[in-house]
Amino acid sequence: MTAQEVRLCGLLLQEHFGDVVEKVGTHLLRNGAQHLRAIVQETGTPMDLVKKSLCVLIQHGACAFSSGRKGPGSPVEYQASFERILRILRYPRYIYTAKTLYGDTGELIIEELLQRGHMTMSSTVKTVADRLTLNMEEGHSMEYSEVSNTFSKLVETHFLQRCPPVEVAGKAVSATPDPATTPGAPANNTTPSTPESFADCYKVPHVTLIGRGKRRNSSEDGEDQRNAKRAKEDPETHGDEGIYWQVNFERFHLHFRDQAIISAVANKLDQTSSEIVRTMLRMSEVTTPPIATCTQALSANEIFRSLPPNYNISRPILDQYLTLLVDDPMEFVGKSGDSGGGMYVVNLHRALANLARATLESVVQERFGSRSARIFRLLLRKRHLEQKQVEDFAMIPAKEAKDMLYTLLSENLVQLQEIPKTPDHAPSRTFYLYTVNQLPTARMLLQNCFKTVANLIERRLFETKESKRLLEKSQRIEAILASLQASGAEPEQLTEVEEMITPPEKQQLESLRHHINKLDSAENQVDETIFLLESYIKSTATNKVIG
Amino acid sequence: MAARGRGRGRRLMSFSVEAVGISRGESLPPSILQPTPLFPPMEQKPLPLVGGEEVEYMLALKQEFRGAMRSLPFFIQPDAPHTDVERYSDKYHSSEPADSSLDWKPGEAAVAVSLVKVSLTACFAPQTLEKKEEEVSSGEEEGEEKKKQEEEEAEGEEEYDEEEFEEETDYIMSYFDNGEEFAGDSDDNMDEAIY
Repeated sequence: MTAQEVRLCGLLLQEHFGDVVEKVGTHLLRNGAQHLRAIVQETGTPMDLVKKSLCVLIQHGACAFSSGRKGPGSPVEYQASFERILRILRYPRYIYTAKTLYGDTGELIIEELLQRGHMTMSSTVKTVADRLTLNMEEGHSMEYSEVSNTFSKLVETHFLQRCPPVEVAGKAVSATPDPATTPGAPANNTTPSTPESFADCYKVPHVTLIGRGKRRNSSEDGEDQRNAKRAKEDPETHGDEGIYWQVNFERFHLHFRDQAIISAVANKLDQTSSEIVRTMLRMSEVTTPPIATCTQALSANEIFRSLPPNYNISRPILDQYLTLLVDDPMEFVGKSGDSGGGMYVVNLHRALANLARATLESVVQERFGSRSARIFRLLLRKRHLEQKQVEDFAMIPAKEAKDMLYTLLSENLVQLQEIPKTPDHAPSRTFYLYTVNQLPTARMLLQNCFKTVANLIERRLFETKESKRLLEKSQRIEAILASLQASGAEPEQLTEVEEMITPPEKQQLESLRHHINKLDSAENQVDETIFLLESYIKSTATNKVIG
Repeated sequence: MAARGRGRGRRLMSFSVEAVGISRGESLPPSILQPTPLFPPMEQKPLPLVGGEEVEYMLALKQEFRGAMRSLPFFIQPDAPHTDVERYSDKYHSSEPADSSLDWKPGEAAVAVSLVKVSLTACFAPQTLEKKEEEVSSGEEEGEEKKKQEEEEAEGEEEYDEEEFEEETDYIMSYFDNGEEFAGDSDDNMDEAIY
């Protein structure tokens, strides 16, 4: 856990869950697994607040608990996961993807699940139906069955998964609600189990949900209160108590990765090639495990049959496109055989590596200029070069090349490798070669990205704090306006209230809003780079292990 | 940066001079004796942000999500700070949701929300009519933010002054503009005469 990661996680926790959770969360991130007493003592927070914070963190999957390390009698230890907390940055992207794939219903389902962490299917369906009904016209409301259908579709395509059931240990300390499906499993189960290791991970439970969404009108307040009272006293059961669902981030990440590859092909080649790659990826969605380096081999005949119907390109043209894709230096598609008209695979790992490399090159270009970028690309391609060779290959005069190399060296984007000729490493008899290592550089840039996002968040908080008075004043005036309008006031009163904000204040508010929007938007876009670099690093790590 | 060679007074460095590219007679850049400036001038300006419908929609999603999270029961407020003297009315402040912390089942979010809202409004008993109106009609998010900020000002003299004033007089103090805000903005510059 680097300092930048801890800082960023702290800011995210503070914005979404408050200061108390932030204190507990950062303490856990910094100090690893801790038991409850240690947390209470070292953070100086009262016990009940610590318990509440741990509940919140576990509810959102950011914290896991396991039996103590010192044996079966030791207290339960809690461990926070910084990766899960960093996902909060990507929530808007998840929600937007759900919207593009499954419409407004899907969007709201994912949003509710992200807000609440874990939810049962019935409560999700009811809440989403209510929210959709609010936005529909008078007299229309949303059927529960429609929402259930979308929910089932999301589960089928693995975007949602069940929360893994928790083994009931000796003392019932689990905060994750769960039925005792596995009676009293031994507490020595320290291997972290993924949600997918449970058989029923993607099974939709049989739920009896009949009804429509309720619209909350002000005239129905009395009725709602009575209904709410009744609901508290008599909870309706729908047959899926204890089965909680969560968003499956890995599946979304696979989708984003595919999208990145397709858009890269579209940018480099053309629309038709990207459609071909999209078809190939779609066909191998189910058969490719998440950590695979390339998809299953697909024959050209199969690809031809599965192309979308509005793309009527002939068979020889498809073959030409495939040959083009294979010959492209970016190596998105590879040929693995000749049967069936040619067997083609999409090289996932290599595509990710190339995308990461393009990111690094673009960073160098934007920070140091195109000539430094040329030197950087040269070193990436030729691995090790001497000073003189760099000048020659890059066709840059010696003095400037030297200057640029030293700047890159001081920023740690380029490393110096010594190759001694004699065992005593005498400087006059040693080769000094410049080199770029893609993986460590990607890691360093990833940490820079975390620092960037943390800085953006802090700046946004600073700007909000600076103009706190102005914001409060504008909120008060909006509130007064709203209440006046609700109670039916004349236009003169409304304009009088509106004029309470002077024009320079209005301008200040406008520019403040503009700045905050810019900072927020920048956070979203840095997160895209974070995703690319993280995927590349993870893909390289798993593939190294496999060999 | 220049490490002295053993026994020689002449300029000798740990790496070979020619190989790295500094030819004889060229001067090294001057060594820097202070940390780099906080906001160094950039030679290359950064690229503008991407615009477009998708980006704006995601921006709106993000801001709404943040706002929504503040109103959910997952947003835990720190304990209300204790004033220096115990007041009689402390007994009647239900400052904590009744033991929902230990029995807290995340499914009962709706119950907890209403409890939290009620408890927070009860916390700040001395209140003006205007403030009450705001809390009722304004969004939950704004109310929570204000309360949170008020809570954080543990030694907020403004809060304390209002309490004291309100307990002693029958008038609502905010109706009277006693000119404090006018001069209050220029607190730093006491040299100017205030007319």
